[in-house]
Amino acid sequence: MAEIVLKVENLTKHFPVRGSRSRVVHAVDGVSFEIARGQTLGLVGESGCGKSTCARTIIRIYEPTAGRIELCGKDITALDQKQLKPFRRDMQMIFQDPYASLNARMTVRDIISEPLRAHGLARDAKEVDQRVNEMLASVGLSQEHARRYAHEFSGGQRQRVGIARALILNPRLVICDEPISALDVSIQAQVVNLLRSLQQKQGLTYLFIAHDLSMVRYVSDQVGVMYIGRLVEKCAADEIYAHPLHPYTQGLMGAVPVADPRLSRQKTASSIEGDLPSPIDPPQGCRFCTRCPRATQRCREEEPPFQEAAPGHYVACFHI
Amino acid sequence: MQSQWERITYQDSDREKVWAKSRSFAQDVWFRFRRKPTALGGLIIIALLLIFALVGPVLSPYSYSQQDLSMANISPILNVYPAGDGVYFYLNAAQKLIQVDGSGHLVRQLEKVEENFDERWYAFSYGDEGQLVYLDFTVKPYAVKLSQYGEQIQADARLWNRTYLLGTDHLGRDILTRLMYGTRISLMVAFIAALVNMVIGILYGSLSGYIGGRADAVMMRIVDIISTIPLTLYVILIKVCLDNGMASIILALSSVYWVDMARVVRGQVLSLKQQEFVLAARTIGSSTGMIIREHLIPNAMGSVLVTVTMLIPSAIFMESFMSFIGIGIAPPMASLGTMCTDAVESLRTAPYQLLMPAVVICLIMFAFNFVGDGLRDALDPKLKK
Repeated sequence: MAEIVLKVENLTKHFPVRGSRSRVVHAVDGVSFEIARGQTLGLVGESGCGKSTCARTIIRIYEPTAGRIELCGKDITALDQKQLKPFRRDMQMIFQDPYASLNARMTVRDIISEPLRAHGLARDAKEVDQRVNEMLASVGLSQEHARRYAHEFSGGQRQRVGIARALILNPRLVICDEPISALDVSIQAQVVNLLRSLQQKQGLTYLFIAHDLSMVRYVSDQVGVMYIGRLVEKCAADEIYAHPLHPYTQGLMGAVPVADPRLSRQKTASSIEGDLPSPIDPPQGCRFCTRCPRATQRCREEEPPFQEAAPGHYVACFHI
Repeated sequence: MQSQWERITYQDSDREKVWAKSRSFAQDVWFRFRRKPTALGGLIIIALLLIFALVGPVLSPYSYSQQDLSMANISPILNVYPAGDGVYFYLNAAQKLIQVDGSGHLVRQLEKVEENFDERWYAFSYGDEGQLVYLDFTVKPYAVKLSQYGEQIQADARLWNRTYLLGTDHLGRDILTRLMYGTRISLMVAFIAALVNMVIGILYGSLSGYIGGRADAVMMRIVDIISTIPLTLYVILIKVCLDNGMASIILALSSVYWVDMARVVRGQVLSLKQQEFVLAARTIGSSTGMIIREHLIPNAMGSVLVTVTMLIPSAIFMESFMSFIGIGIAPPMASLGTMCTDAVESLRTAPYQLLMPAVVICLIMFAFNFVGDGLRDALDPKLKK
């Protein structure tokens, strides 16, 4: 088995509810997974299911409530921000909104070179320029873009600046927090292809968060499905599209629009009814029981374990 | 028929090219600022006032403290008695005659050679040959005659005062020169106070906003306590304990006026620190100092600038006010406020003495408020097209 770059065990993040001491938002509740070097784990789920919180807890914008995060075999959970700094060189993030994630008062050169300056990795301005130009070239931008401000670019160009900033330190792990959902469809493919070719060139490991299932299938080796802070199903990307086991995953697949109307008519209507329950008071037992067509009394009382149903295919459901 | 359209060659690199002219943030603000006539007018007035205050005193033949009691309370427009041969007399408030030449230059105060209290007249000598001019105060207004029982001369000529362009005050000091120094003091107080307040406010506000939590709560309660009592009262109380002079005025203004700035900066930082580019900087591993310096302060600078341009006129007004009630600039140094105080005493006989400093105060206030308004509009991202 290849080297494990990121290993997350029982990761939990609870946010306190304003004005209440005992109530918390169960944003992420006991998530475990691992990603091998050069692989991509796609994380999908509805809005508010905890995907972004999971990413931000791993990269320690948020402090985890419980659990363990291992980066390249080293436990980084208990480190404070100062001790964490050297590890940040191996772990970078690409943000969702290319408009909000770039400082409008900085030139592209300053934005891309910020990691170099933060870690004191460049000896002089000349070296900074050289590294920035290399990075610009590898994301398909030219040197003359370096002097410009971020607001002068299109969304796709801005996202590529964000990618250049994340990759200039040669990290092992890149967390992509919905990097394409704010972009035009035509630009999405461009950015995703760029991410894939960079992965092949540099052997990057991605944690790829998205809600576009077809895009996740395209980029991921493994796919994890999250529902109210929990991982409900995880297996190889093609497997999950071919044989979704969890009723929630099946519902998600049913909601994917199909381009061909004849196929669309054949599709069994298995979309999910109702809204996401509040993560402050998640349902007892299986969290999906309030919306699950197959829910029984057992689902409401007992929590289904996350277990291997087929080789490499993990699912948390009693009805398999 | 020739086609009007022709196919152009197109390359992939054209798609990546940014066609718009590169404009930095400051250029962008200036582009929008200069479209507003009032704002531009305000900026020009401030520039002119700066030249007036900085270059003016060099060109002026007088100093702010140079007194000439014989030339006290002379107005900028002279009502003079023509005596022929290009000789005019100006009767000042102290019943002294001053000889004026035809172009409006004050020559000298005439020497009183004889006085007769029975018939109630004075005689003054003028000219090289000792000619006499009489001031008869049996009638009101007093009559000026060239001979003792001769015809009364009417004060029907008007001349611009060329020696003291804006007249003199009650101690015979040139008002124009004092205005230059007064403007200089006011602008200096304003700029230094604004700078000090900006530095304190930015440091305090950004720290409070960035650290957040309990530190933020304590720091903001301190600000609340300071701002429950009117700032004017603080400044007066502080000034009462200190000596008169520039340094203590700046100290008094700087000690309390930063609270507004701190609030503005804190609010900005609170909203900015949740933005993705600040989160990005944290994931990159940038230090707190670097985040505050490179991300938070440059982005909060717009509102800081607007607050400063609004703070400057209130600092100027405060300085003038303190000088007016006598706890500001120490005499004989001129300040717009002390000039107003001095002028109030002789308001009935010499209203021009109050008018001039008042006009300058108004100009400064208008100019800075207009500039502040223009800046706020130029910096407002909602108006950006």
